[in-house]
Amino acid sequence: MSVQPQPPISGAAGLTPRQLTHRLRQMLAIREFERLGEQCFRDGLIRGYYHSYAGQEAVGVGFLNALDLSRDYVVDHYRDHGHCLLLGLDPEQIFAELFGRATGVSKGKGGSMHMYSPERHFLGGDGIVGGGLSVACGVGLALKRRANDPICVCFFGDGALDTGTFHESMNLASLWSVPTLYVCINNLYSMGTRVEDHSSLSQLVDRAQGYGVKIEQVDGQDVFATTAAAERIYQYMRQTKRPYFVEALTYRYQGHGIHDKALNYRTEQEEAQWHSRDPIQLLAAHLITEKILSAQQIEDLRQQIVSELQAKIERAKQAPQPDEAELTQDVLA
Amino acid sequence: MKKLSMHEALNQALREEMHRDERVVLLGEEIGKYNGVHYVTRGLYAEFGKERVIDTPISEESFTGVGVGLAIMGMRPVVEMMRMDFSLRAMDQIYNHMAKIRYMSGGRLSVPMVLRGPEGPGPNPGLTAQHGQQLTVLFAHCPGLRVVSPSNQYDAKGMLKAAIRSDDPVVFLEPGPLNNKQGDVGEDDYLVSLDHGEVKHEGSDVTLIGYGASVALCLQAARDLEHDGVSAEVVDIRCLRPLDMGPALASVAKTNRAVVAEYAWQSYGPGAEIVARLMAEAFWNLDAPVTRVSGQEVPLPYAANLEELSKPQVADIVAQAKATLR
Repeated sequence: MSVQPQPPISGAAGLTPRQLTHRLRQMLAIREFERLGEQCFRDGLIRGYYHSYAGQEAVGVGFLNALDLSRDYVVDHYRDHGHCLLLGLDPEQIFAELFGRATGVSKGKGGSMHMYSPERHFLGGDGIVGGGLSVACGVGLALKRRANDPICVCFFGDGALDTGTFHESMNLASLWSVPTLYVCINNLYSMGTRVEDHSSLSQLVDRAQGYGVKIEQVDGQDVFATTAAAERIYQYMRQTKRPYFVEALTYRYQGHGIHDKALNYRTEQEEAQWHSRDPIQLLAAHLITEKILSAQQIEDLRQQIVSELQAKIERAKQAPQPDEAELTQDVLA
Repeated sequence: MKKLSMHEALNQALREEMHRDERVVLLGEEIGKYNGVHYVTRGLYAEFGKERVIDTPISEESFTGVGVGLAIMGMRPVVEMMRMDFSLRAMDQIYNHMAKIRYMSGGRLSVPMVLRGPEGPGPNPGLTAQHGQQLTVLFAHCPGLRVVSPSNQYDAKGMLKAAIRSDDPVVFLEPGPLNNKQGDVGEDDYLVSLDHGEVKHEGSDVTLIGYGASVALCLQAARDLEHDGVSAEVVDIRCLRPLDMGPALASVAKTNRAVVAEYAWQSYGPGAEIVARLMAEAFWNLDAPVTRVSGQEVPLPYAANLEELSKPQVADIVAQAKATLR
C-alpha cells in the first residue's frame, strides 16, 4: 500500500485568521458530536447504525465550506452527520433524528443514514454503497439547466468504486457534461477490507480514469489542501460544466460502524501513524504557531462546543416520539 | 375519439405533457435518435431536442438514478425501460431510492418520476425468457410506489398523463401484448385516475378480474360466455398500488363469483393478493371459491407452441367462470 500520511500541511490556503478559527471550530464540533453521539448510542438512545466521521473532518470542511449553498447541492453517503453539521443543520435536530424523535430532520423516520434538508440543499445520506452516485448525476443534470453555474458535490467511500454504478455514473456524467464533483473519501477500508484487497488498483484515482473526467488526489488530513482543491475545482466546474473526481486520502478513527469494535483488520501502529497527523491537531498547531489562538483558547473552545452539544442532546431527548399517525404518512404524496 | 394504437396513445400523452410542462424530460435507451424501439417516443426527439429526450447508454441502474436525481430537483422525468425485464438491473434505485426517499426524508423530498415500459409476452411473439416477463408484482409489492397498468388505449393516454402530473413515483406498466393494438383514444387533454379501477363490461353472473393485458382476455372470455348464456362482468383493476378493490368488491356483491386472470406467474403474484382481499372483504358474498388463470410457472419458452401454452388462455377463463356457476 503506497498511501501513507504525508507530513507537513500546506499553508493557510488564503484563509483569514477568523476563517481558520471557524474551520477549527467546525472540526471540533464534528469530532465532539461523534464522540457524544457514540456515547448516546451506548446509552441506548440511538438504535441501529452509527457511522462516525471522526478523523475525516478536513475533507468535509474543505469541500463544503467552499460551496455556495444559495445554488449548489450535496448528495451524501451514510457517514453523514459531519456533513449535516457543516451544511448548517441544527445539531439538536440531528440528535433528535438519531433518537427517533418527531423533531428530527426527517421527522424521526430516516435515522442516522437518512438525514435530508432541502432547505440547506442537502439531498440526503444514503444507506446503499454507491446509491447516491447516479442520483448526483441527475442532480447535476438538473443544475446544468440553471443559469448561475451551480454544482453538485457527491461524497462516497472507497468501497463505492467497486460498484457497477460508479462506472456507469462516471460515464454518464462525462457523456452529458454534468457539473457534479465526485469526492471519494478513501479511508483505506471498505468496511473491514483494505484497499489492496478490494481494488484492482491501489491508487483509486486511477480507477476513475477512462471517462474523460479530470481526476485528482488530495491530502484529506490537511484542511488547507482540501480547501484549496475545492476552490480551484469548483471554479473549473462552474466554467466548464464538467464533472470532476477527487480522491481524498484520510482515515476513520472508529470502526466502519459502531458495531465494528474489534478492528482486527488494522494495526495499532497504523492507527497511531494516522493519529499523528490528526486533521484537528494539524490545524490547531498552525493556529498556535501563527499566534491566532493559544492552546488554552483551543481547549476552551472545545469545552464550549461540548457544553453546547450537551445542551442540544438534552433538548433532543425531551422531544416527543413521532405521533403514531406518522407511521403511514409520507409513503405517498 | 380516434382509433390509435397503444403506442400512439402513449406517444400523444408524452407529447401533450411535454408541451404543457417544460420540466418533463424523457430518458431511456434508443428513445431519441433511434425513435423508440416500441415507437412510444416516435418523433419526440425531432420535436423537443436532445435536452428533453435524452438517449442513455445501457446503464439501467444509473439512468434510473439520474431520474431520481432530476425528480428530487423538481423535474418530471419519464424513464423508459426498453423492456420491463431490464428494470431488474435498476432495482436498487427503484426500491431503495425512488420508492423510499419521500418516507425516509419525512416527506421533505418527493420523487415525481415515471418509470415506464412494456411488460409481458408481446407485442411480438418469440420474446423468450429474458424479454417477455410479467414482473408486475415486484413493483406492486413495494410501498412508496404507485403502480398502474392500463388495459386499453384510452386509459393508456389518460393514465400516463396523470402519472406524469403525479407527485409520487409511478411505475407505469404497459401491456406488451397490446402495444400495437388499436382502440379509441380521446383527442382532448383528459386524465384517467391513478386511484380507481373500472368495470369494463357489465354482467350479472360472474366477475372476471384482470389488470393490464389480461383484461383483454377477460373481455374475450365474457363474449364467449355470452354465447353460452352466461353474463360475465369484467373488472379492470388498473391501479395495483395502492390497490383499488372497489369495483371488484361491488361486482362480486352482485355476481357472488369471481375468476382472476393474469399473465403473471401465479405463486405470490398480484392475483394472489386480489384473491386474499376478496376472501377478507367479500367472503360472505361468495358462492364459490375464487379461482385464478395465470401464466404457466416457467420461463417464457421460445417455440411457438410452448410460448402459447405458457400464456393464460381465454378458454381457461371461460371454463373457470363456468365452474363457479356449478
